Parts: sequence; structure tokens; C-alpha cells
Amino acid sequence: MRALRFAWRSLVRQPARAFLGVLGVAAVGALLFDMLMLSDGLIVSMRDMLERTGFDIRITASGDLRRMGDRMHHTDATLATIRQLPHVGTVLAVRFVAAEAAPPEDTIATNAPEPGMVALTLEGVQGDARPWTVLSGRDPAGDREVVVSRALADAVRVTTGSELVVRARCTSPDQVLPPARLHVVGIAEFPFELVGDPTAGGAMAVLDTACAGRSDESDIILASALAEVDATAAAIRAARPDVNVATNEQVIGRLQRNGFTYFRQISSVLTVVTLAFALLLITVLLTVSVNQRLGEIAALRALGFSRRRVVADVLCESVLIVGLGGLVSLPLGAVLARGLDAILKTMPGIPGQMYFFVLEPSTLGLHATLLAVTAIAAALYPMQIVARLPIAATLRNEVLS
Amino acid sequence: MAAVVILVALLGTTHPAAAQPAGDLPAVLVSRQAAEALSLSVGSVVQVAPPDGAAARDFRVAGIYEPTPDPSRLGNAIYAVRLHLPDVLALTSPPDAPKGAESVDAINIRLAPGVDALAFSRDVNARLPGLAARPTTDAGAAAGPFRVLERFHLAIAIVTIIASTVFLVALTVMLVDERRETVGVLRLIGLPTSRVLVQVLIEGALVAGAGSVFGLALSLVSEGLINRFFQWRYDTALLFVHVTPSVALTCVLIAIPLGVSATVIASWLLLRRNALRLARR
Repeated sequence: MRALRFAWRSLVRQPARAFLGVLGVAAVGALLFDMLMLSDGLIVSMRDMLERTGFDIRITASGDLRRMGDRMHHTDATLATIRQLPHVGTVLAVRFVAAEAAPPEDTIATNAPEPGMVALTLEGVQGDARPWTVLSGRDPAGDREVVVSRALADAVRVTTGSELVVRARCTSPDQVLPPARLHVVGIAEFPFELVGDPTAGGAMAVLDTACAGRSDESDIILASALAEVDATAAAIRAARPDVNVATNEQVIGRLQRNGFTYFRQISSVLTVVTLAFALLLITVLLTVSVNQRLGEIAALRALGFSRRRVVADVLCESVLIVGLGGLVSLPLGAVLARGLDAILKTMPGIPGQMYFFVLEPSTLGLHATLLAVTAIAAALYPMQIVARLPIAATLRNEVLS
Repeated sequence: MAAVVILVALLGTTHPAAAQPAGDLPAVLVSRQAAEALSLSVGSVVQVAPPDGAAARDFRVAGIYEPTPDPSRLGNAIYAVRLHLPDVLALTSPPDAPKGAESVDAINIRLAPGVDALAFSRDVNARLPGLAARPTTDAGAAAGPFRVLERFHLAIAIVTIIASTVFLVALTVMLVDERRETVGVLRLIGLPTSRVLVQVLIEGALVAGAGSVFGLALSLVSEGLINRFFQWRYDTALLFVHVTPSVALTCVLIAIPLGVSATVIASWLLLRRNALRLARR
């Protein structure tokens, strides 16, 4: 405790130097904090999103993420087969169709496939539940009623009771179909709505209306399990071996292996770089500081301070710089994470409710541990200088100089 | 037809005892990853089929190629074969499809030197309604994720530069303070403040220049190491780090003024003090 107080006095004696040291550690610590949040942020965020939808099992044609893989045919028969299985709760088939809608004339859309048009996704559902949460209005019914996301409502300036005129592109991006006039019956939150790709959702019949023809296809079938999820998934797999069945955990595992590896890698690289940077610079700061005070330290030793005590002073100084910098780095890192998240969220194909930087209790613990290790490692060399300091020779040099 | 397309198709196992002599079979190129996964070599016979598995045909492996690195497929092994366009059409067109009804996804055109790609694409768009022609340099949508990553890296770089600047100023303040007495003596023997500042400026420029050279050397060494590691990790020929002359120049243009400014500012704070106070122990 005395050593800590003594180290504090050493720091406040040189306020500018101490302030800059703490500020530097805070900046590096903020970057480190963000990289730790980034390393598993997408996975944690995705797991949270998957769990919030209330479905445990995802069935697709090829196992790819939505819109990247093939469509499943014979949706009616597949739904009937899955419903008959024991321990299957709600089942929901979803089909996505690219479409475009005309905004009011005074609006210019930036994501328009054609001048003046807003690109959107029409989401058709068939089954026992709805994948969206109605915020205002009511759930759609029939073949012309839809709910729209807040983003779509803002982009084309529609609200509950408005008419939404869309042109769907059901079979190819160049398909030209007659416009479909849909009625907006509510505003809803779509958990997997992509940034820059607003969504309208309704019954599967709405898609048939927009596509001018009935189609028994779906992109994904979601199912909830009433009993053990893996066993239920295995039962579905056995009943329909031609489709790909994955539990939420398997989807997460697949993303961990392939989908989000880039961010984990860059996070690991930058974590190592920031720690090495912090270590190097704190070592230099402490070493220069100790070298400037060699005479003073030798005098303290001559007065009776033990070797252990002066070494502890240096360690405490390092702990104080890194500790204070680490504390400041937390709010700084949170602000920085918001900025970086906003940049990354502009990436196409990212759901709006997904976050790259997610704070977990373990992140705070790891951040503190890494900084503590850095503080100790950075103090090793200056501690060695102090421990091996020849008292008489140093005092003599001090007097002669 | 000399056009070659890529078809991500089902590759069957090799069967050397094919009914047709291997030399007469149509040729395909197989991606390195697919060749490794299926233990194929030049001369092997493979079955290639559309994704539905129907109408599989035998092909002779004429070569193994390294796929063009594609950042959007990072982490996914590229299992692909390259076929001549007529072979692809024969595989994918329905048997009863009328002649001339085949379709292709895209046509790549190499223009003669000096031809304006934008003007050419405008001309094609005007002459052939229903087709969309655009210069390859205008692949804005495909480059979207990488532009976002570029902005992300830039933001990280800015934070790193801010952190470095703070540490640099802290170090220079300490180093200048260490030479307080020397500066005081120089002032006492008659050197004006401007003369001492010029000396500090030159010294700062030399140190910043040496630091920049060392940093560039370090980045060139780490460039190779990082690329090798990630190319091994993702089984790709993609370049992850590339120190271009413009990147190197940008770094030097940031580092040297930053180093010099930090030194001069720290020295100026010291030189403002009275010479006697500086020289006093």
C-alpha cells in the first residue's frame, strides 16, 4: 500500500508525463477492448438473434444462408411431413423474392436498381407462426395484405392503410412482371432484415400475387422443438433426407468455421499488435523515467529503503499507469465500438439487428487480465535496473556530474 | 467456340475404365482444391453433372488450375471445373430445347487498346435493349464489402496513429526534459532559442526518418509472414497485406512530420523557460 502511494506521488510529480502515459494506454486499451468485443461479437449477436426468433431448427435445400442456396420444392408436402413428426412444435416456411417499389416522386433512393425505385425484399410465409413482430397495425391476412418494416415505410413513405405498389423479380433479376398493388396493414420488426434491403412480409399467397403465379417453393423452413432439439432435428433429417437440417447451434458452428473467420482473425492480429505496442511503449516510458531518477532511487536505498521496496515502487507505477489508462479505455472503447460498428453495418448482407461488437462479462475479464499482464511485463526491465542499482557508485556519479 | 466458363458442378469419382478412350473425351480444367479433395491428376477421367445430378458426362482432366483469388469466398474451398462453353450448354440445356435457345450469364469483352470502356458499354446498351453492359472497373456492387472493410481499416489506422502520437509526445517530453541542463548551458553560452530549435528540428527529422525506414522494413518483413500465414490458413492465393509504394509514401508522410512536430513542440515548451532555470540542477 505504501509502495502504491509512493508510486502515485511519483506520477503526480510529473503530471504532464503521467497524463500522456495514461492517455496513451487508454487509446491502446480502447482498441484492445474493441478487438476483444469483435472477436466473438458476430457469433454472440447471431446466436441471440436465432434464439429470439423462437425456432430451434432450420431446414434449407443446400445448407447455405438465405438467398445464396437453392430453393426447396414441394413446400406443402414438406411442411405436412414435418408436422407429423413427434416433438415438432411450430413450423414455418419462408420464401424471399426481390422486388422494387416506387417511392414518392420527391424522394431519391440511393439503393435503387432503377432510377427512382427502392429495392426491397418480399417475404412470404406459410405455417403456424410469423417471423416478424408487429409494432403497429395488425398481422396481414389474405393475398394482398402486408406488413412493412420501419425502413421500408420510411423509404417509400407508406404507413398502415397505405397502398404499396411493387414489381417482383421472382425467377431472375431481369424479369419484368406487372406491378402488384398491396395493402399495408401494419409496421413490423423483421429480425433478419438486411441493412439497405427493407422488407415487406405477408402470406405466401402475397408472393403468388406479386409473381403472377402459384409456386410451391420456399427458401427456408423453420421449426421449433418440443423436446430435445438434436433428436427432433435427426427425426426431420430421417423423414426428409433430401433437405439440409441444422439446429441453431450447428448454424452457429458453421458460421464460426467459415462465415465470420475474417473478423476473428483480424481481431486476433490487432489484439497481439496493440498489446505489443502497449508493452513496448510502457517499458520505454518507465525505463526513461527510472533512468532519470537513478540518483533519487540510490538515495532512497541509502536511507534504508529495501531493494524489494524500490522494485515494488516501479511495479506500482506501471500498474497505476496501465490501471488508470485501462479504466479510461472502457468508455473510450465503447464509443469507438459504436463508430466502428456503424462503419461495418454498411456492409451489404448484414442484418440490421446484428452487431459486430458485443460486450460480454468475459470480455471485461480478459481485457483486465491482458492489461495486468502487460503492466507486469512492461515493468520487468525497469525493475531489473532498479534491483541491480549500485548504491555507492550511483551516488558518487550523481555528485560528480 | 473458345469461350471458357466456370461451372460449379458435381464431380464424380474417377473411373479409368471408361467405355470411351480417355483421349477422345472433352477436356476440363479442375481447381487445385477440387483436384486435391478428389485425388485427381492430369489425365484422370471425371464425371461432371449439373447440380441436380442428371445427365452426367465423362471428361478428361486436361489441367489443374489455381482459382483466381476471390475475397468473397474466403474460408470456402473452391471446388470448380472449367469447361468449354458448348460442353456446358450440352450439360445444362434441356434435351428438347430448340437450337439457339441456349443462354449464358455474361460475356466478357477485351477491348482494343485505347477504346473507352464506358463509351463502348453505353453503345452496347443503346444497341441491345435487354442487355446490361458495364465496364469491369465499375463493379461497385461487388466491391461493396471491401470498401466497407477499407473504411474499417482506415478507422483502426486513425486510432492507432492517435495512440502512437500520444506516446510519441510523452516520450519526447521525457527525452527533452532529460536534456534540460544541456539546453540551458547552450542558451547561457549565447545560442539563441531559434538556433537550438533548428538543431532539435534536424535531430527530430533524422530520428523520425530512421524510425520510418525501420517501420517500413518491419512492415515488408511482416507482409510476407502475414500473407504466408493467412494463405495457409484459408488455402488461397489471395494477398492479405500489400505494401504498395503509395502506402509506404503515405506512412512516411505521416510519420516524419508527426515525429518532427512532437520533438519541436516538446522542445519549445522547454525553451520558453528562463536559461538560468534550465541550467540549474
